[in-house]
Amino acid sequence: MTTEPRAFLAIDHGAATTSVALIGLVAGAWRLIGSLALPAGAEIDSALHLLRRRVTAVDRDLAHGIGLATEIDSMPRLEVRSRRPRRLTIVAGSERTLSTLIGVAARSGWRVTGASVETTDPLAMTGMLLDRDVDAILTGASDPPAPEERGAIRELAALVAAAATRRPEIPVVLAGGMAEALAEFGLATERPGEIVLAPAARQPGRRRAAAADADPSAPSDPLADLLLELALPDDDPRRAMGTAVQALADALDRRVELIGLGHDASVRASASPAAGGVEGTPKLAVVPGASVAPEEPDDAVIDAVTGWSTLPSDRHRLRDRMRELRIAPSADAAGEGTALRMAAARAALHRLIAAAPDAPGTPSPDLVVTAGGVWSAIPAPAVALALVDILRRPGASQFALDHARLLGPLGAIPDPHERLAVMGDLADDLLAPLGSVVMPAGLHAGRSAGNLLIHADGATSELDLVPGGLELVDLPPGATAVAEFRFRDTVRLGARGRHFAIDVAGGLGGLLVDLRDVPLRLPDRADRRRDLLSAWQRALWAGGDA
Amino acid sequence: MTAMRRVTAIAEDELRLVAVHRLVESGLEIAFPLAPGDRPLVEVGESVTAGAPIAEQLRNGALHDQPVPAGPDTRPGGRVQAGELLFEWRGRWRTVGGDVWESIESPVAGSVREATPGSGIVITTAGQAIRGIVALGGPTRGRLHVAAGADGELRAGGLDVGLAGTILVVGSRIDAETLTRARAMGIRGIVVAGLASKARRDYLASEARQRAALHRLPPFAVLVLDGAMRRPLASPLLDVLAALEGREVAIVGDPPALLFEASDLELPAPALDLVRIRGGDMIGREGRWLGLVGQRRFPGGIHLEAASVRLRDGSIVAVPLGDIERFV
Repeated sequence: MTTEPRAFLAIDHGAATTSVALIGLVAGAWRLIGSLALPAGAEIDSALHLLRRRVTAVDRDLAHGIGLATEIDSMPRLEVRSRRPRRLTIVAGSERTLSTLIGVAARSGWRVTGASVETTDPLAMTGMLLDRDVDAILTGASDPPAPEERGAIRELAALVAAAATRRPEIPVVLAGGMAEALAEFGLATERPGEIVLAPAARQPGRRRAAAADADPSAPSDPLADLLLELALPDDDPRRAMGTAVQALADALDRRVELIGLGHDASVRASASPAAGGVEGTPKLAVVPGASVAPEEPDDAVIDAVTGWSTLPSDRHRLRDRMRELRIAPSADAAGEGTALRMAAARAALHRLIAAAPDAPGTPSPDLVVTAGGVWSAIPAPAVALALVDILRRPGASQFALDHARLLGPLGAIPDPHERLAVMGDLADDLLAPLGSVVMPAGLHAGRSAGNLLIHADGATSELDLVPGGLELVDLPPGATAVAEFRFRDTVRLGARGRHFAIDVAGGLGGLLVDLRDVPLRLPDRADRRRDLLSAWQRALWAGGDA
Repeated sequence: MTAMRRVTAIAEDELRLVAVHRLVESGLEIAFPLAPGDRPLVEVGESVTAGAPIAEQLRNGALHDQPVPAGPDTRPGGRVQAGELLFEWRGRWRTVGGDVWESIESPVAGSVREATPGSGIVITTAGQAIRGIVALGGPTRGRLHVAAGADGELRAGGLDVGLAGTILVVGSRIDAETLTRARAMGIRGIVVAGLASKARRDYLASEARQRAALHRLPPFAVLVLDGAMRRPLASPLLDVLAALEGREVAIVGDPPALLFEASDLELPAPALDLVRIRGGDMIGREGRWLGLVGQRRFPGGIHLEAASVRLRDGSIVAVPLGDIERFV
């Protein structure tokens, strides 16, 4: 945008949905003028013409002012494109190292297969590495190598080097103690695929790793960062989410978490604003295993979707429907298809949180932003409910939806200052406020846990707090209030206490007070579970029972 | 009149927002995976004909550890008398060898683009292809026979030995019993619109048992064109398949596709405004595109971008844009 355009287009080519947004310069600031979400495969030029017709029909003067009538086809475009995640084969000297490496790679944008010398013979391992489907190889060991690895890694290095000779085009990452075997690979410059030296993966649970994860200013796992860079090109919206969420945190001066659910992979990113001249470092996890519609829905996926489904369905039929969702993600979005999407989205979110969990001591974000085509037709309160069904975190947060799918394209702006400036202008437009969620933990079962006083516009309303339920307070977008909680017993709500006063902001779903268990407990019996899920959803989504 | 033309032009432009179902493709690249020990019989750039052997697959590959004298082929992937060299370790070589071989034949004519021992062979096909969403088994080839209409269903009792050597188009769906029986009767393949997950699982279990047997049946494959739910075959696809009746065709698995050579044939093309509903209650129904109608409320209480479609029975319905596809 060096020629001072009056408008530009932000286009996100998703695997299931293509989103087109028109951004115009209005009164000296970038504003979201209009957006469309269409099934993947829609021709972009036709989408632009439709957007132009609609914007012109609503405000002809504005359309003229930003040059829409004549310039839309030649407007600057910020385009990002999701591609199917690539496959990484991991081989290691021990099962323990393999498990750690798989954990890191699986949240770094790769579809992963792996084997260790403890369980796999050299013939099968060579077959895995030479498979045509493999896009990169990662071989690693602890640094220094653990006792159980020492005897195996030299032979493993010879095996990997031989496979690398036969597949010279694919990159090979040597992590941790395996870097000592670099000489086995000859001259790295003689092969088209890179040989990359990387640090060892952080062992989960180690005190130093946990402390680094909990510290918002600490750099993220270097091996994970390297694998993300290898997995996803610069114009991949999932990779751009990291820089986007950092820019958003800086623009709003708030701790921000992003949850993006995708057809091929889901994203969890978090960032804290720069403070004291120190730039914030976003944490980013891209998890193909947490896609909404996995390529081959196994029993674990089907059971998880069944667990969140509000409709009765046998396993085979549900598997058929999940396969259809994979093949044609835009189709069958109404009726029972809506219920399927909501169940599949919750199951995917559960897998995402399991693959990229909160480190102990991580503070709750001020704002949780969600994105993804799966939410495009779902009413806002139901989106918030789906998120808090899985994100069981005591505290208070605001929730918002990236309704025009702008975060991916904006995160791909290469210049950080320009990115921050555009994000600052657009933050209010790109976030559809879903509402505020307050979630206390440690409530005792009983008729009443206390009461809630809402102070807004000089008036006060009172609400009884019934454990196990959801309370919805109408608080429109733009409105603010003070929610004063008076519990009978001590609860956890950020801190421990009985009396809390929280500033809350309104949204399309208002204020949601979630008095259910943390973590959520659902009945074992399928029919009771479905009834309970339906009842919670019905309160927030008229007509949502299909 | 000018306004009318403008409306038509807008409707045509809006039709391009509909997802595309490509009927026939040319120059498809098909892949055949090879495992360590398998022997490619072709080289890059070589032309192959349908039925020509392109590789030998090792069925009883075993790992050996032995000294190998240095020579021009003493490198990873090289071949010595004992088999294929995997890697050198402490002055000896790990090799894979065996003595039971099975031939892999190219199901179609084309040229070899890639032949990597232990990895795979890629062939650029000379003919055309109809893509499916999954192929089970294969590769295979045979004469194409349309055995059931678009909405038909073939049952086990409908098969006879006269169909041996054919690839059958069976309409909307098929069950596992019919698939197993078709393979046993020498039928070479099945083309079907939808295959339910249960039928798929049962058939794959039967296929795995067959693969383990010493005496193998001729190659057999199932090509699923649309998905897992029952729906009629798309009429433009059925028209193309009917035009190919009696011709030699092949089914391959990577990518899943039906391959054929029909350069002497003018394949029927669908109307430009023909659309097909690919999801929801009206799955499989076809009609004419009338234009976008904006956001509409649909069951489930959700609002979706919708289009107006005139179905074949003359009724006009509003359908979510994501539910329809067009053919090119």
